[in-house]
Amino acid sequence: MAKGNGDAERVEEVLGERLGRGIIAVGRPQPDTLLVTIEPGTVLAATQALLDDLGARFLVSVGTDRRPISGDFAVTHLFSLDQSHLYVVLECPVASENPEIDSITPLIPGAAWSEREIRDVVGVSTRGHPDPRRLLLPDDWPEGVYPLRRDFPYNERPPAAEGTRPAWVPTPEGASVVTLGPFFPVLEEPSNWRLFVEGETVVGCDYRGFYNHRGVEKLGDSVMTYNEIPYLAERICGICGFIHSTCYCQAVERAAGIEVPRRARYIRTMMLELERIHSHLLWLGIAGHILGFDTVLMQTWRIREPVMWLAEVITGNRKSYGMNTIGGVRRDVTEVTKARILEVLGPVEKESLAVRDAVVGDTTLHMRTKNVGILENAWARQVCVVGPPARGSGVRIDARIDHPYAAYDEVVPRLCAHDEGDIWARVLVRIEELLDSIRLVREAAAGLPDGPIVAEITEEIPSGRIGVSTVEAPRGEAVHYVLTGGDNRPWRWRVRAPTYPNLQAMPAMAAGGNIADIPITLGSLDPCFSCTERMETVDVRSRNVRVYSPAELLAMSRRSGRPGGGS
Amino acid sequence: MLTSKLREALICLKAGRVTLPYPFAPHDPEPGFRGKVTIDADLCFGCGGCANVCEAGVILLTDSGQHTRVLEFFWRRCTYCGRCQEVCPEGAVKLSQEFQTATNDAADLYLRLEVFMGPCQRCGRCFPPPTPLERMKRTGFRADGEGGRA
Repeated sequence: MAKGNGDAERVEEVLGERLGRGIIAVGRPQPDTLLVTIEPGTVLAATQALLDDLGARFLVSVGTDRRPISGDFAVTHLFSLDQSHLYVVLECPVASENPEIDSITPLIPGAAWSEREIRDVVGVSTRGHPDPRRLLLPDDWPEGVYPLRRDFPYNERPPAAEGTRPAWVPTPEGASVVTLGPFFPVLEEPSNWRLFVEGETVVGCDYRGFYNHRGVEKLGDSVMTYNEIPYLAERICGICGFIHSTCYCQAVERAAGIEVPRRARYIRTMMLELERIHSHLLWLGIAGHILGFDTVLMQTWRIREPVMWLAEVITGNRKSYGMNTIGGVRRDVTEVTKARILEVLGPVEKESLAVRDAVVGDTTLHMRTKNVGILENAWARQVCVVGPPARGSGVRIDARIDHPYAAYDEVVPRLCAHDEGDIWARVLVRIEELLDSIRLVREAAAGLPDGPIVAEITEEIPSGRIGVSTVEAPRGEAVHYVLTGGDNRPWRWRVRAPTYPNLQAMPAMAAGGNIADIPITLGSLDPCFSCTERMETVDVRSRNVRVYSPAELLAMSRRSGRPGGGS
Repeated sequence: MLTSKLREALICLKAGRVTLPYPFAPHDPEPGFRGKVTIDADLCFGCGGCANVCEAGVILLTDSGQHTRVLEFFWRRCTYCGRCQEVCPEGAVKLSQEFQTATNDAADLYLRLEVFMGPCQRCGRCFPPPTPLERMKRTGFRADGEGGRA
């Protein structure tokens, strides 16, 4: 697993040359992780060196309040050197008075959301950020209150304020606004888009989301303990829950140096691939549904259902598996369940092939998806898109191959990529991955080694260690970062879901397309997403137009929500 | 184009009707399914291990008086992870096959158990026997072969 030792030295050398005395310390928490602590003033030079000389790919930025430990904040940029199978963790200590650091967004457009989030939640502002608007806190959240600071209690509720609005990007000259949302038309999830249109053509868009922000990270570092968080992590996503719990467990295991038994790693691989099978079948159905082709929806979901039942047999629940724990898995896969897995996979494969053969030649689908929602390779790299949208644009990255985890060093996946960059390419990538996943589950079942399923942990997890873990979710690469803390819980736990970078590519994909193509363009990212500010009613008889204020709407909805209330 | 449409039609026709007759016919979950929590009052001796590991925090433990320990289960927020069953040294807590838990009455999803305890002669507080307590205190997770199987 731990390759790329020579490359780590090269990274050290390059950064040493570029930064000189800017490097405070260099560490190797794990053989494939390089931790470089630098002077905050040299962050731009370090990022430039990583991008230009080493071809690093930006993962995510983490803001940490370390004032109780070392009296400062830390802004940590995570990079991946995919070819060298190496993570580079760039840690910048930021003084606690007037915390500020140079923004790396001008160099990496994909870092925009991460840096806005750091400003929102820990209050480290970024100098030179091209778009410093609020990202995830509610519009009525008071300025200067930072929820992920250690002195902010997890159950604190700042007072609500009336009449606040999101700060929207100004409408371009000559364009009009079409609002998409407050609910996404087909995914039934809250997401607020403003499309800038000239006639039928979309020229740009703006997004306000995070209305479903639940404060999972805050719970993780203030209420729950190491072994309770896997069940919380699992509930980050309703489809790829196992991916998040695996990713969290791996990050803690890496930080604490816990060796997971081989059998447990194989079982994790099997579950991860089963999750990919049912997620891709689900997506294929949703894509058909968005295009008005509900036959695909009905049939792929029918094919998918036995996989869900299979998950119930293996884990005890069809979706919230509760399988992962620090050090391994909780339930073993017996010979009986193994036979059951193979029995279910046969028909799933046969039927998936039948669906593939039917849809690949369907010209109606081609008309809706070919040359629509194009994401150029260069821009996909710039905004650091991950998963099938990246691979559909010819960016050959896959966490299973670049940073092998679980049993992917022995059960090797095939990298499925296409160069066209349109929606059709993403469809093909997913269909190929679906079939490859079936092969992987079979291989993992055949090669399932004997042994324990969970590591004995005899000592407390030491504090102050870091662990970075990536897992290739069906939607793309998930990243978890853990900084261990003292009282049986992480000091900081950062989760980056795959949709986080992928949504940032949406403005580029939407531009130049038609309004009618927006739902499928957005749908082709396989997104996970929120809310109305006002509504117009027109009295048909008198032709009077009345505009309701947000407060009136709120009062109406509250009235109707109460038992006995009218609508 | 036409072949695609024919193939699609064939997939639908071959599948036929797949909707299950549930709820008019029973639909039992697979063995090992993690359903509603049951507790055997005769076996529980009030060690509180279940309350200690409950990640959703739905099991509350209070000592009322010198001889009684009260265990309260608020199943409304139960996430069915099965950790309580895993750590119970006496096998008193079990996850059943029951999944039809929808109800109009919140009291249906509440259970209160009063366990008689021998109080400490010195401090007067309830205490559980030491051996299972030592087991509770183990760092990390330990599999006992069953791994959360109900």
